[in-house]
Amino acid sequence: MDLELTAEQEAFRLEARTWLRENLPSQERPPEGAEMREFDLAWQRTLYEGGWAGINWPAEYGGRGLSDIQQMIWYEEFASADPPFTLNNSCTFVGNNHGGPTLIVKGSDAQKSEHLPRILRGEVVWCQGFSEPGAGSDLAGLSTRAVIDGDELVVTGQKTWTSYAHVADLQELLVRTDPDVPKHRGISWVICDMNSPGIEIREIRTMSHVTDFCEVFYDEVRIPLTNVVGDLNDGWRVAMSTLSFERGTAFMADQVELAATVEELIREARERTGPDGRAMIRDEEVARRLATARAEVAALRAMTIAGISRTARTGMPGPEGSMIRLFHGELHKRVFALSLDIVGPEALRLTPVDGEGNWTGKYLQSFAYTIGGGTTDIQRNIVGERVLGLPREPKPAA
Amino acid sequence: MDLLPSEEQSEIIDTVNAQLEADFDLHALAGQDFSTNVLDDDLWQRCAELGWFSLGLSEADGGIGYGLAEEALLFERIGAHATPGPFLPTVLGAHVAAAAGDADLVTTITSGACRVALAEPEPSADDPHRVRVTDHDGAALMLTIGERDCVLRSTEGKQFVAQSSLDPLVPLAVTEVDRDGADVVCRADGETLVLRATVLFAAELAGIARATAEQSTEYAKDREQFGRPVGSFQAVKHRCADMAVRADAAIQLTRLASLAVQAGHPDARFQARAARAVASEAAIDNAEVNVQNHGGIGFTYEHTAHRYVTRARLRAAALGGRAATLADMLAADAPS
Repeated sequence: MDLELTAEQEAFRLEARTWLRENLPSQERPPEGAEMREFDLAWQRTLYEGGWAGINWPAEYGGRGLSDIQQMIWYEEFASADPPFTLNNSCTFVGNNHGGPTLIVKGSDAQKSEHLPRILRGEVVWCQGFSEPGAGSDLAGLSTRAVIDGDELVVTGQKTWTSYAHVADLQELLVRTDPDVPKHRGISWVICDMNSPGIEIREIRTMSHVTDFCEVFYDEVRIPLTNVVGDLNDGWRVAMSTLSFERGTAFMADQVELAATVEELIREARERTGPDGRAMIRDEEVARRLATARAEVAALRAMTIAGISRTARTGMPGPEGSMIRLFHGELHKRVFALSLDIVGPEALRLTPVDGEGNWTGKYLQSFAYTIGGGTTDIQRNIVGERVLGLPREPKPAA
Repeated sequence: MDLLPSEEQSEIIDTVNAQLEADFDLHALAGQDFSTNVLDDDLWQRCAELGWFSLGLSEADGGIGYGLAEEALLFERIGAHATPGPFLPTVLGAHVAAAAGDADLVTTITSGACRVALAEPEPSADDPHRVRVTDHDGAALMLTIGERDCVLRSTEGKQFVAQSSLDPLVPLAVTEVDRDGADVVCRADGETLVLRATVLFAAELAGIARATAEQSTEYAKDREQFGRPVGSFQAVKHRCADMAVRADAAIQLTRLASLAVQAGHPDARFQARAARAVASEAAIDNAEVNVQNHGGIGFTYEHTAHRYVTRARLRAAALGGRAATLADMLAADAPS
């Protein structure tokens, strides 16, 4: 056990701090459409040119080949540089944190060399096609069909909750390639070109008024068989490796940013006055909730470091990452619920989800944190069954 | 940067565990209370010989030369076994004596010749010098932990008025400290000792949180109702998952805080208090949910579940309890 950074890591931190001071954009992120896409990709290109893309990706695919600790240091420096946008609220998220890492582990050499550099260079937007109207928590129950025709798959069905589908070039798509075997064994993970004929995209407005949440319809969409990642019908295992990254480092940026949010809230509570004319921080209930939140984000950071330490010893993020996801999701919601109790009448005025202050938009957006990427109820099942070894829920009688 | 115990640290954990399982088996203590002396002098002596009271003292001070991190690992295990006895004030007492430069007193304490009880201010209107003392039986010294200093006092000639104790294995009494300080044996200034105490309480509480999570999980695997283990039901499984998460939060933050205090990091004060806040809540919540998970058997005196409830309450109330911990935390420097 030790908390010290190596000289190399310390140097990395200073290098990141200096670079961010000089290169962090000052303008806010456009809320939607082509402008938003261009903003996100431009930032990704800036990162790439500065050497900050794919920090913990292998060097052979254009990454820096550094450790998860350095990835965390980078997030910490980003969060404390007072950025006008958040890292994960970007259409580059899926490429950087899902699609890319999955290809690194499961992709063919051709797939890796075609896609990984383009993700890092900010040339391409990826989206996720996992959930369906009939397959949410029961993801393996998905029914979007893919039939083999020559050297192509022909896909028909529907996906939903696909963020940024309307501005995406590629999609990590789960399809059913064999309907006659148990549900986990007939799924394939494929790369879908979002410009293919037969794809229709409809935007869905969320409770936080964002419209980049989409549903995607597939009408005999043709995908080359060479786009299958891993083996045909082995897509569940491939998807699980995607999700293990999600439980590993994908949400580290959010976790680190939450600590900065709590500090910002403490400043708000010192500056704002309540109905009795005293600073909000003099309110005992508010003060205790803030102190608790400050302690809990410290615990989140310690859990993250412990998770990184574990991954460093085993080589892959373990199921313990689900514990961090669960703790973070609920803490995130508590912090933003607390923010509305601090900002007084501003809690009644709608704001965008991005940008400094803007508490109500972020509060509404916070509901996604216990639903997206597997609801907290599913996370509890994973912790119960895969970390604690409790027996699975019995199957209902047929 | 690495928060997992090293091989050497894992060995310390295993050794401590083996000793606690042999001598402090909770199930063997089932049904006992403080009228039975579970911690006789022989046993105390054995703990001294294992180096528990000198683990984190420097070799120059006559200790083994490990740090607060290893001491915290010891107290995680003490918490996990709900071990009775004044281990924490005794370990701290040795540090106070060392900081005060009293080498003889260090040896007296670390050799197991002298137990140190914990005394906490509990002033009343007619007695501003009243203190509440835990484990005063057989303790020649008692320790008070203030905001900025720690004081060892003699218990000689003091009148202890026994109280009915919430924790059946921890005797509770009230007495007075001397107005003019005539009972002071030695005193050490400096916040480091207070932070050490804060981290060690956090460690004991984190151990309680971990042990209760494990006890519930094991029971949920074994206990069958409706023809299947109750742990297969989400209502129980999800409670166990939440317990595991709370325990992990408490353990990891406490380990981080032990390192921060040991290295004298600028945010050590914050991390120590944060650890205690998170660990107190985790211990109390988990101990309470653990009773629920056991159903009727968990409500009996025979079962060990209630041991953790009362121990968690007792340890969480130390150092001014939750209100004091949280009040300090917004004042402390921002974590870095």
